[in-house]
Amino acid sequence: MRRCLRDNSLTLTFATAFLLTLAGQALVGHAEFNNGLLVDSLAPVSLTAYLMSSDFAVDVTENWQSEYLQFFLYIFGTVWLLQRGSPESKEMDRAGPEDDETQRVGAHARDDSPRWAAAEGIRQKLFSRSLGLVMAALFLLSWLAQSVAGTAAYNELRLRNLQPPVDWSGYILSADFWSRTLQNWQSELIAVASMAILSVYLRQRGSPESKPVGAPHHATGVEG
Amino acid sequence: MTVTKALFVLCLTVVVCGLAYFTALGLTHR
Repeated sequence: MRRCLRDNSLTLTFATAFLLTLAGQALVGHAEFNNGLLVDSLAPVSLTAYLMSSDFAVDVTENWQSEYLQFFLYIFGTVWLLQRGSPESKEMDRAGPEDDETQRVGAHARDDSPRWAAAEGIRQKLFSRSLGLVMAALFLLSWLAQSVAGTAAYNELRLRNLQPPVDWSGYILSADFWSRTLQNWQSELIAVASMAILSVYLRQRGSPESKPVGAPHHATGVEG
Repeated sequence: MTVTKALFVLCLTVVVCGLAYFTALGLTHR
C-alpha cells in the first residue's frame, strides 16, 4: 500500500489538491454569486443550486481550457521550438519529430515498447502524437463547454438587466467570452515563457524540471 | 502498474464526465 502511494504520489497529491481547491472555489463562488443576487434584490440560492448553475460551470471550464491549451502548445511547440540552455528544450540539432531509430518506432521498437509503437501505419502515427492530441481534444472540449455554459450565464445577467438574450454564435463573438478566454491564455503563456527562460539560469535541486545544480547555463535538454 | 493504469483511466473519465456535466448545465439553462 505504502509503495503504491509512493509510486503514484505525484498524481495523487495533485488530484487531491484539485478536489480541495474545486470545493473551495464552489464555496466562495456560491457566496460571491449570492452577493450579486442580493445587490439586485433577488433571493439567494442554495449551494446545490449554485453547483448546478451555468455560472459555476463557466468559471470552472474557462480555467480548464487554458490549462489544457498550455500543455497542448507546450507539447507540440517543443517538437520544433528550442531554447538554448533550457532543460525544457531539446538540444539544438534535434528540432522536429526525429528519426524512427531515436524514437524506437516500427522496426526499431524494442521488446518492452508499447504495441502501437511497433505497429506501422495509422496506429503508430496516432500513438506517436497521442499525448498532444488528447490535450488538444480536452482543450477544445473545455473551450466548447465554456462557450455553452458562458452563453447561459451571460443571458441570465442580460435578462436580469432587462436586455434580450443572445444565442451561442452571438456569445462567442462577445467581449465577455473573449475577456474570459484571453485573461486565462495570457497568464498561461507568460508562465510558459518564464519557465523556458528562467530554467536556463536558475536551478531546483532534485527536480526533473531543472538541470542538475552544477550543469552549465549553456547545457540544453539536460534534466536533473 | 495496475493502480497507475486505473489512475490514468480515472483521470480521463473525471475530466471528460466533468466537461459533459458542465456542457449539459449550459444547455439546460438556455
